Amino acid sequence: MSRLGPVYTLAVGAVLTVALGVASAQASPAVEQATAVPIDTTSTAPPVEEEAPTPEETPAPGETAPPEEAAPADTTPKKVDYAGVVQGNGGLVAISIRNGKAVAYFCDGHIEAWLKGKAENNTVTLEGKNALITASLGGGKAQGRVEFKGKSWRFSAAVVKKPSGLYRATAQVRGARIVGGWIKLPSGQSVGRLTIGESGAGEAAAAFDGGVVTWYGIPLTPTEPDAFIDTINP
Amino acid sequence: MSHTQQFTPHRRSAIVLLLVPVLVGGAVATALGVYGELHPPTGFAVSLAGFSGPLAMKAWLTTGAALLAIVQVLTAMAMWGKLPFEGGWVEPTHRWSGRIAFLLTVPVAFHCLYAVGARYDEPRVMIHSILGCLFYGIFATKMLALPKRGVPGWTLPVLGGLLFTLLVGLWLTSSFWFFTTIGVQF
Repeated sequence: MSRLGPVYTLAVGAVLTVALGVASAQASPAVEQATAVPIDTTSTAPPVEEEAPTPEETPAPGETAPPEEAAPADTTPKKVDYAGVVQGNGGLVAISIRNGKAVAYFCDGHIEAWLKGKAENNTVTLEGKNALITASLGGGKAQGRVEFKGKSWRFSAAVVKKPSGLYRATAQVRGARIVGGWIKLPSGQSVGRLTIGESGAGEAAAAFDGGVVTWYGIPLTPTEPDAFIDTINP
Repeated sequence: MSHTQQFTPHRRSAIVLLLVPVLVGGAVATALGVYGELHPPTGFAVSLAGFSGPLAMKAWLTTGAALLAIVQVLTAMAMWGKLPFEGGWVEPTHRWSGRIAFLLTVPVAFHCLYAVGARYDEPRVMIHSILGCLFYGIFATKMLALPKRGVPGWTLPVLGGLLFTLLVGLWLTSSFWFFTTIGVQF
Protein backbone atom coordinates (compact mmCIF):
# COMPACT_ATOMS: atom_id res chain seq x y z
CA MET A 1 0.00 0.00 0.00
CA SER A 2 1.31 3.31 -1.10
CA ARG A 3 1.95 6.14 1.30
CA LEU A 4 0.78 8.37 -1.48
CA GLY A 5 -2.68 6.73 -1.50
CA PRO A 6 -4.39 9.60 0.37
CA VAL A 7 -2.77 12.12 -1.95
CA TYR A 8 -4.11 10.21 -4.95
CA THR A 9 -7.56 10.30 -3.33
CA LEU A 10 -7.35 14.08 -3.06
CA ALA A 11 -6.03 14.31 -6.61
CA VAL A 12 -8.90 12.21 -8.00
CA GLY A 13 -11.36 14.46 -6.18
CA ALA A 14 -9.72 17.53 -7.68
CA VAL A 15 -9.75 16.02 -11.18
CA LEU A 16 -13.43 15.10 -10.80
CA THR A 17 -14.19 18.68 -9.71
CA VAL A 18 -12.41 20.10 -12.76
CA ALA A 19 -14.24 17.64 -15.04
CA LEU A 20 -17.60 18.67 -13.58
CA GLY A 21 -16.64 22.32 -14.07
CA VAL A 22 -15.74 21.82 -17.71
CA ALA A 23 -18.89 19.79 -18.37
CA SER A 24 -21.09 22.36 -16.64
CA ALA A 25 -19.54 25.25 -18.53
CA GLN A 26 -20.19 23.47 -21.84
CA ALA A 27 -23.71 22.25 -21.12
CA SER A 28 -25.30 25.58 -20.44
CA PRO A 29 -29.08 25.69 -20.12
CA ALA A 30 -31.31 26.59 -23.02
CA VAL A 31 -32.16 30.03 -21.74
CA GLU A 32 -28.51 31.03 -21.72
CA GLN A 33 -28.14 29.95 -25.31
CA ALA A 34 -31.02 32.25 -26.10
CA THR A 35 -28.89 35.23 -25.11
CA ALA A 36 -26.58 34.48 -28.00
CA VAL A 37 -29.41 35.41 -30.36
CA PRO A 38 -29.89 39.15 -30.16
CA ILE A 39 -33.55 39.84 -29.57
CA ASP A 40 -34.59 42.85 -31.59
CA THR A 41 -37.17 44.45 -29.40
CA THR A 42 -37.79 47.33 -31.78
CA SER A 43 -38.97 45.03 -34.57
CA THR A 44 -41.37 43.10 -32.36
CA ALA A 45 -42.81 46.09 -30.58
CA PRO A 46 -44.77 47.89 -33.33
CA PRO A 47 -47.21 45.06 -34.16
CA VAL A 48 -47.91 44.56 -30.48
CA GLU A 49 -48.37 48.26 -30.03
CA GLU A 50 -51.71 48.07 -31.84
CA GLU A 51 -52.91 45.53 -29.33
CA ALA A 52 -51.95 47.67 -26.40
CA PRO A 53 -54.85 49.14 -24.49
CA THR A 54 -55.24 52.65 -25.76
CA PRO A 55 -55.06 55.17 -22.98
CA GLU A 56 -58.20 56.95 -24.25
CA GLU A 57 -60.31 53.94 -23.30
CA THR A 58 -59.45 54.07 -19.64
CA PRO A 59 -60.48 57.54 -18.50
CA ALA A 60 -64.13 57.62 -17.67
CA PRO A 61 -66.49 59.80 -19.73
CA GLY A 62 -66.65 63.47 -18.78
CA GLU A 63 -69.81 63.33 -16.68
CA THR A 64 -68.35 60.97 -14.09
CA ALA A 65 -64.88 62.49 -13.87
CA PRO A 66 -64.94 66.19 -13.11
CA PRO A 67 -61.83 67.60 -14.75
CA GLU A 68 -61.23 70.15 -12.00
CA GLU A 69 -60.98 67.50 -9.29
CA ALA A 70 -57.49 66.32 -10.21
CA ALA A 71 -54.59 66.73 -12.56
CA PRO A 72 -54.86 65.09 -15.99
CA ALA A 73 -56.30 61.59 -15.68
CA ASP A 74 -53.79 58.83 -15.10
CA THR A 75 -53.42 57.01 -18.40
CA THR A 76 -51.70 54.01 -16.84
CA PRO A 77 -53.25 50.85 -18.28
CA LYS A 78 -55.69 49.23 -15.86
CA LYS A 79 -55.04 45.68 -16.99
CA VAL A 80 -51.99 44.76 -18.99
CA ASP A 81 -49.29 42.11 -19.13
CA TYR A 82 -45.76 42.69 -20.33
CA ALA A 83 -43.04 40.12 -20.93
CA GLY A 84 -39.63 40.29 -22.50
CA VAL A 85 -35.96 39.50 -22.43
CA VAL A 86 -33.55 41.06 -19.94
CA GLN A 87 -30.61 42.37 -21.95
CA GLY A 88 -27.22 40.90 -21.23
CA ASN A 89 -28.56 38.50 -18.63
CA GLY A 90 -30.40 35.79 -20.56
CA GLY A 91 -33.32 35.91 -18.19
CA LEU A 92 -36.88 36.95 -18.87
CA VAL A 93 -38.99 39.46 -17.05
CA ALA A 94 -42.77 39.73 -16.84
CA ILE A 95 -44.82 42.55 -15.36
CA SER A 96 -48.57 42.42 -14.87
CA ILE A 97 -50.71 45.38 -13.85
CA ARG A 98 -54.22 45.18 -12.41
CA ASN A 99 -55.86 48.47 -11.36
CA GLY A 100 -52.71 50.15 -10.16
CA LYS A 101 -51.25 47.08 -8.50
CA ALA A 102 -48.29 45.49 -10.16
CA VAL A 103 -46.51 42.17 -9.89
CA ALA A 104 -43.34 41.12 -11.64
CA TYR A 105 -41.16 38.07 -11.97
CA PHE A 106 -37.56 38.00 -13.10
CA CYS A 107 -36.01 34.61 -13.79
CA ASP A 108 -33.33 32.97 -15.85
CA GLY A 109 -33.98 29.46 -14.55
CA HIS A 110 -31.29 29.87 -11.89
CA ILE A 111 -31.79 33.20 -10.20
CA GLU A 112 -35.24 34.59 -9.72
CA ALA A 113 -37.14 37.31 -7.95
CA TRP A 114 -40.81 37.97 -7.31
CA LEU A 115 -41.64 41.65 -6.98
CA LYS A 116 -44.68 43.69 -6.20
CA GLY A 117 -45.41 47.37 -6.50
CA LYS A 118 -47.57 50.08 -7.97
CA ALA A 119 -48.31 51.39 -11.41
CA GLU A 120 -49.16 55.07 -11.74
CA ASN A 121 -48.55 57.89 -14.20
CA ASN A 122 -47.34 55.32 -16.73
CA THR A 123 -44.48 54.19 -14.58
CA VAL A 124 -44.18 51.06 -12.52
CA THR A 125 -41.94 50.48 -9.51
CA LEU A 126 -41.67 47.04 -7.98
CA GLU A 127 -39.67 45.71 -5.08
CA GLY A 128 -38.70 42.23 -4.07
CA LYS A 129 -36.08 40.45 -2.03
CA ASN A 130 -32.75 41.87 -3.27
CA ALA A 131 -34.58 43.09 -6.36
CA LEU A 132 -35.96 46.30 -7.80
CA ILE A 133 -37.67 46.93 -11.12
CA THR A 134 -38.49 50.35 -12.50
CA ALA A 135 -40.04 50.83 -15.91
CA SER A 136 -41.91 53.36 -17.95
CA LEU A 137 -45.01 52.22 -19.76
CA GLY A 138 -45.97 53.37 -23.21
CA GLY A 139 -46.00 52.45 -26.86
CA GLY A 140 -47.07 48.94 -26.01
CA LYS A 141 -43.94 48.32 -23.98
CA ALA A 142 -42.56 48.48 -20.50
CA GLN A 143 -38.98 49.71 -20.69
CA GLY A 144 -36.73 49.92 -17.71
CA ARG A 145 -34.25 48.26 -15.47
CA VAL A 146 -33.98 45.18 -13.31
CA GLU A 147 -31.69 45.44 -10.32
CA PHE A 148 -30.85 42.18 -8.61
CA LYS A 149 -28.27 41.70 -5.87
CA GLY A 150 -26.34 44.81 -6.83
CA LYS A 151 -26.40 44.17 -10.58
CA SER A 152 -28.50 46.03 -13.06
CA TRP A 153 -29.80 45.13 -16.52
CA ARG A 154 -32.04 46.92 -19.01
CA PHE A 155 -35.11 45.36 -20.50
CA SER A 156 -37.87 46.10 -22.93
CA ALA A 157 -40.99 44.00 -22.44
CA ALA A 158 -43.81 44.14 -24.96
CA VAL A 159 -47.48 43.74 -24.19
CA VAL A 160 -48.33 40.06 -24.41
CA LYS A 161 -51.59 38.15 -24.57
CA LYS A 162 -52.51 34.78 -23.17
CA PRO A 163 -51.04 32.15 -23.32
CA SER A 164 -47.89 34.28 -23.10
CA GLY A 165 -47.14 36.09 -19.89
CA LEU A 166 -46.62 35.30 -16.25
CA TYR A 167 -47.68 32.20 -14.33
CA ARG A 168 -47.27 31.18 -10.71
CA ALA A 169 -48.12 28.04 -8.80
CA THR A 170 -47.89 27.41 -5.09
CA ALA A 171 -48.30 24.38 -2.87
CA GLN A 172 -47.74 23.54 0.75
CA VAL A 173 -46.03 20.22 1.38
CA ARG A 174 -45.25 18.97 4.89
CA GLY A 175 -44.63 22.46 6.22
CA ALA A 176 -42.58 23.67 3.27
CA ARG A 177 -43.87 26.12 0.72
CA ILE A 178 -43.29 25.35 -2.93
CA VAL A 179 -43.43 28.18 -5.44
CA GLY A 180 -43.18 27.83 -9.18
CA GLY A 181 -42.84 30.73 -11.58
CA TRP A 182 -42.92 30.75 -15.36
CA ILE A 183 -42.69 33.37 -18.08
CA LYS A 184 -43.78 32.59 -21.62
CA LEU A 185 -43.02 34.81 -24.59
CA PRO A 186 -44.96 34.90 -27.87
CA SER A 187 -41.77 33.68 -29.59
CA GLY A 188 -42.12 30.40 -27.72
CA GLN A 189 -39.19 31.15 -25.44
CA SER A 190 -40.00 30.38 -21.85
CA VAL A 191 -38.32 30.10 -18.50
CA GLY A 192 -39.37 28.78 -15.14
CA ARG A 193 -38.13 27.84 -11.72
CA LEU A 194 -39.45 25.78 -8.84
CA THR A 195 -38.31 26.42 -5.31
CA ILE A 196 -38.99 24.90 -1.93
CA GLY A 197 -38.73 26.58 1.44
CA GLU A 198 -37.47 29.98 2.45
CA SER A 199 -33.96 29.39 1.17
CA GLY A 200 -35.00 29.30 -2.45
CA ALA A 201 -33.53 25.84 -2.95
CA GLY A 202 -34.88 24.63 -6.21
CA GLU A 203 -34.45 23.77 -9.82
CA ALA A 204 -35.15 25.16 -13.24
CA ALA A 205 -38.67 24.17 -14.25
CA ALA A 206 -39.57 22.58 -17.54
CA ALA A 207 -41.82 24.58 -19.85
CA PHE A 208 -45.48 23.82 -19.39
CA ASP A 209 -48.30 23.86 -21.91
CA GLY A 210 -51.26 24.32 -19.66
CA GLY A 211 -52.55 21.90 -17.08
CA VAL A 212 -50.86 20.58 -13.99
CA VAL A 213 -47.10 20.52 -13.54
CA THR A 214 -45.71 17.72 -11.39
CA TRP A 215 -42.50 18.21 -9.42
CA TYR A 216 -41.22 15.20 -7.49
CA GLY A 217 -44.77 13.95 -7.42
CA ILE A 218 -46.19 17.23 -6.13
CA PRO A 219 -48.96 18.58 -8.37
CA LEU A 220 -48.80 22.31 -9.11
CA THR A 221 -51.29 24.35 -11.08
CA PRO A 222 -49.83 27.47 -12.71
CA THR A 223 -52.24 30.37 -12.49
CA GLU A 224 -52.49 33.74 -14.19
CA PRO A 225 -51.73 37.04 -12.39
CA ASP A 226 -55.40 37.74 -11.55
CA ALA A 227 -55.28 34.76 -9.22
CA PHE A 228 -52.11 35.67 -7.32
CA ILE A 229 -51.50 39.41 -7.63
CA ASP A 230 -52.86 40.00 -4.12
CA THR A 231 -50.93 37.13 -2.56
CA ILE A 232 -47.38 38.06 -3.54
CA ASN A 233 -45.39 38.95 -0.48
CA PRO A 234 -41.75 39.08 -1.43
CA MET B 1 1.00 1.25 14.99
CA SER B 2 3.98 3.07 16.47
CA HIS B 3 2.40 6.48 16.42
CA THR B 4 -0.12 5.41 19.04
CA GLN B 5 2.73 5.10 21.50
CA GLN B 6 4.01 8.67 21.35
CA PHE B 7 4.53 10.31 24.73
CA THR B 8 5.56 13.65 26.12
CA PRO B 9 9.17 13.95 24.90
CA HIS B 10 8.04 13.74 21.28
CA ARG B 11 4.76 15.54 21.66
CA ARG B 12 5.94 18.94 20.52
CA SER B 13 7.61 17.67 17.36
CA ALA B 14 4.66 15.33 16.77
CA ILE B 15 2.25 18.27 16.76
CA VAL B 16 4.55 20.26 14.48
CA LEU B 17 4.10 17.49 11.91
CA LEU B 18 0.42 18.44 11.74
CA LEU B 19 1.16 22.06 10.96
CA VAL B 20 1.17 21.74 7.17
CA PRO B 21 -1.92 19.47 6.96
CA VAL B 22 -3.87 21.80 9.25
CA LEU B 23 -2.80 24.91 7.34
CA VAL B 24 -3.70 23.31 4.00
CA GLY B 25 -7.04 22.15 5.39
CA GLY B 26 -7.76 25.62 6.71
CA ALA B 27 -6.88 27.07 3.32
CA VAL B 28 -9.21 24.59 1.58
CA ALA B 29 -12.12 25.39 3.87
CA THR B 30 -11.53 29.13 3.54
CA ALA B 31 -11.18 28.94 -0.23
CA LEU B 32 -14.47 27.04 -0.55
CA GLY B 33 -16.25 29.56 1.66
CA VAL B 34 -14.86 32.52 -0.24
CA TYR B 35 -15.70 30.89 -3.58
CA GLY B 36 -19.22 30.11 -2.38
CA GLU B 37 -19.67 33.71 -1.29
CA LEU B 38 -18.14 35.46 -4.30
CA HIS B 39 -18.96 33.19 -7.23
CA PRO B 40 -22.26 34.25 -8.78
CA PRO B 41 -24.54 31.21 -8.59
CA THR B 42 -25.14 29.80 -12.04
CA GLY B 43 -28.13 27.81 -10.84
CA PHE B 44 -27.06 25.13 -13.24
CA ALA B 45 -24.44 22.43 -13.09
CA VAL B 46 -24.16 19.04 -14.69
CA SER B 47 -26.16 16.45 -12.84
CA LEU B 48 -26.03 12.69 -12.93
CA ALA B 49 -28.39 10.73 -15.11
CA GLY B 50 -31.02 8.61 -13.40
CA PHE B 51 -32.44 11.23 -11.06
CA SER B 52 -35.33 13.51 -11.89
CA GLY B 53 -33.39 16.58 -10.80
CA PRO B 54 -30.32 17.86 -9.03
CA LEU B 55 -32.04 18.01 -5.64
CA ALA B 56 -32.81 14.30 -5.75
CA MET B 57 -29.34 13.52 -7.08
CA LYS B 58 -27.74 15.39 -4.20
CA ALA B 59 -30.04 13.86 -1.58
CA TRP B 60 -29.22 10.30 -2.66
CA LEU B 61 -25.48 10.71 -3.21
CA THR B 62 -25.19 12.29 0.24
CA THR B 63 -27.16 9.39 1.70
CA GLY B 64 -24.75 6.96 0.01
CA ALA B 65 -21.79 8.82 1.47
CA ALA B 66 -23.39 8.86 4.94
CA LEU B 67 -23.98 5.09 4.84
CA LEU B 68 -20.35 4.55 3.81
CA ALA B 69 -19.35 6.86 6.66
CA ILE B 70 -20.96 4.39 9.08
CA VAL B 71 -18.78 1.68 7.49
CA GLN B 72 -15.86 4.06 8.04
CA VAL B 73 -16.53 4.36 11.75
CA LEU B 74 -17.01 0.60 12.24
CA THR B 75 -13.87 -0.37 10.31
CA ALA B 76 -11.86 2.35 12.06
CA MET B 77 -13.01 1.03 15.44
CA ALA B 78 -11.94 -2.46 14.39
CA MET B 79 -8.55 -1.15 13.26
CA TRP B 80 -8.05 0.44 16.68
CA GLY B 81 -9.08 -2.73 18.44
CA LYS B 82 -12.39 -1.40 19.71
CA LEU B 83 -14.48 -3.98 17.87
CA PRO B 84 -13.87 -7.69 17.69
CA PHE B 85 -13.31 -8.00 13.93
CA GLU B 86 -9.99 -8.69 12.46
CA GLY B 87 -8.67 -9.68 9.11
CA GLY B 88 -7.01 -8.41 6.03
CA TRP B 89 -10.28 -7.02 4.71
CA VAL B 90 -10.72 -4.36 7.38
CA GLU B 91 -8.10 -1.86 6.24
CA PRO B 92 -8.89 -2.07 2.50
CA THR B 93 -12.60 -1.76 3.33
CA HIS B 94 -11.90 1.34 5.38
CA ARG B 95 -9.73 2.86 2.67
CA TRP B 96 -12.07 2.13 -0.23
CA SER B 97 -15.32 2.98 1.55
CA GLY B 98 -13.73 6.32 2.43
CA ARG B 99 -12.56 6.97 -1.10
CA ILE B 100 -15.95 6.11 -2.58
CA ALA B 101 -17.76 8.21 0.03
CA PHE B 102 -15.51 11.18 -0.76
CA LEU B 103 -16.02 10.79 -4.50
CA LEU B 104 -19.81 10.55 -3.99
CA THR B 105 -19.76 13.89 -2.22
CA VAL B 106 -17.81 15.69 -4.96
CA PRO B 107 -20.67 16.07 -7.49
CA VAL B 108 -22.93 17.16 -4.64
CA ALA B 109 -20.57 19.81 -3.32
CA PHE B 110 -19.79 20.90 -6.86
CA HIS B 111 -23.48 21.49 -7.53
CA CYS B 112 -23.90 23.28 -4.20
CA LEU B 113 -20.99 25.66 -4.73
CA TYR B 114 -21.16 26.16 -8.49
CA ALA B 115 -24.90 26.36 -8.93
CA VAL B 116 -26.07 27.73 -5.59
CA GLY B 117 -23.19 29.17 -3.55
CA ALA B 118 -22.75 29.56 0.17
CA ARG B 119 -25.74 31.25 1.78
CA TYR B 120 -26.45 32.52 5.25
CA ASP B 121 -30.08 33.66 5.05
CA GLU B 122 -31.74 30.59 6.53
CA PRO B 123 -30.48 28.45 9.45
CA ARG B 124 -30.55 25.16 7.56
CA VAL B 125 -28.69 26.58 4.58
CA MET B 126 -26.24 28.53 6.72
CA ILE B 127 -25.34 25.49 8.81
CA HIS B 128 -25.07 23.37 5.68
CA SER B 129 -22.76 25.92 3.99
CA ILE B 130 -20.43 26.12 7.00
CA LEU B 131 -20.33 22.36 7.61
CA GLY B 132 -19.63 21.75 3.92
CA CYS B 133 -16.61 24.07 3.87
CA LEU B 134 -15.26 22.55 7.11
CA PHE B 135 -15.77 19.01 5.81
CA TYR B 136 -13.40 19.41 2.86
CA GLY B 137 -10.89 21.30 4.96
CA ILE B 138 -10.75 18.50 7.51
CA PHE B 139 -10.76 15.88 4.79
CA ALA B 140 -7.67 17.49 3.21
CA THR B 141 -6.03 17.67 6.65
CA LYS B 142 -6.71 13.99 7.29
CA MET B 143 -5.46 12.88 3.88
CA LEU B 144 -2.24 14.87 4.33
CA ALA B 145 -1.76 13.66 7.92
CA LEU B 146 -2.31 9.96 7.03
CA PRO B 147 1.05 9.25 5.35
CA LYS B 148 3.07 11.10 8.01
CA ARG B 149 4.81 8.95 10.59
CA GLY B 150 5.01 10.14 14.16
CA VAL B 151 1.91 12.35 14.32
CA PRO B 152 0.15 12.38 17.72
CA GLY B 153 -1.90 9.27 18.40
CA TRP B 154 -5.16 11.15 18.61
CA THR B 155 -4.78 12.68 15.14
CA LEU B 156 -6.67 10.13 13.05
CA PRO B 157 -9.47 9.38 15.55
CA VAL B 158 -10.12 13.08 16.06
CA LEU B 159 -10.04 13.95 12.35
CA GLY B 160 -12.08 10.88 11.42
CA GLY B 161 -14.61 11.58 14.16
CA LEU B 162 -14.92 15.18 13.00
CA LEU B 163 -15.47 14.06 9.41
CA PHE B 164 -18.19 11.64 10.45
CA THR B 165 -19.91 14.28 12.59
CA LEU B 166 -19.74 16.86 9.82
CA LEU B 167 -21.08 14.43 7.22
CA VAL B 168 -24.00 13.49 9.47
CA GLY B 169 -24.68 17.20 9.96
CA LEU B 170 -24.53 17.74 6.21
CA TRP B 171 -26.90 14.81 5.63
CA LEU B 172 -29.38 16.12 8.22
CA THR B 173 -29.39 19.61 6.69
CA SER B 174 -29.86 18.34 3.13
CA SER B 175 -31.02 14.79 2.42
CA PHE B 176 -33.07 14.41 5.60
CA TRP B 177 -34.72 17.75 4.89
CA PHE B 178 -35.40 16.69 1.29
CA PHE B 179 -36.87 13.30 2.27
CA THR B 180 -39.04 14.76 5.02
CA THR B 181 -40.39 17.74 3.06
CA ILE B 182 -40.54 16.69 -0.59
CA GLY B 183 -40.67 12.99 0.15
CA VAL B 184 -38.57 9.98 -0.73
CA GLN B 185 -38.33 10.74 -4.43
CA PHE B 186 -35.72 9.78 -6.99
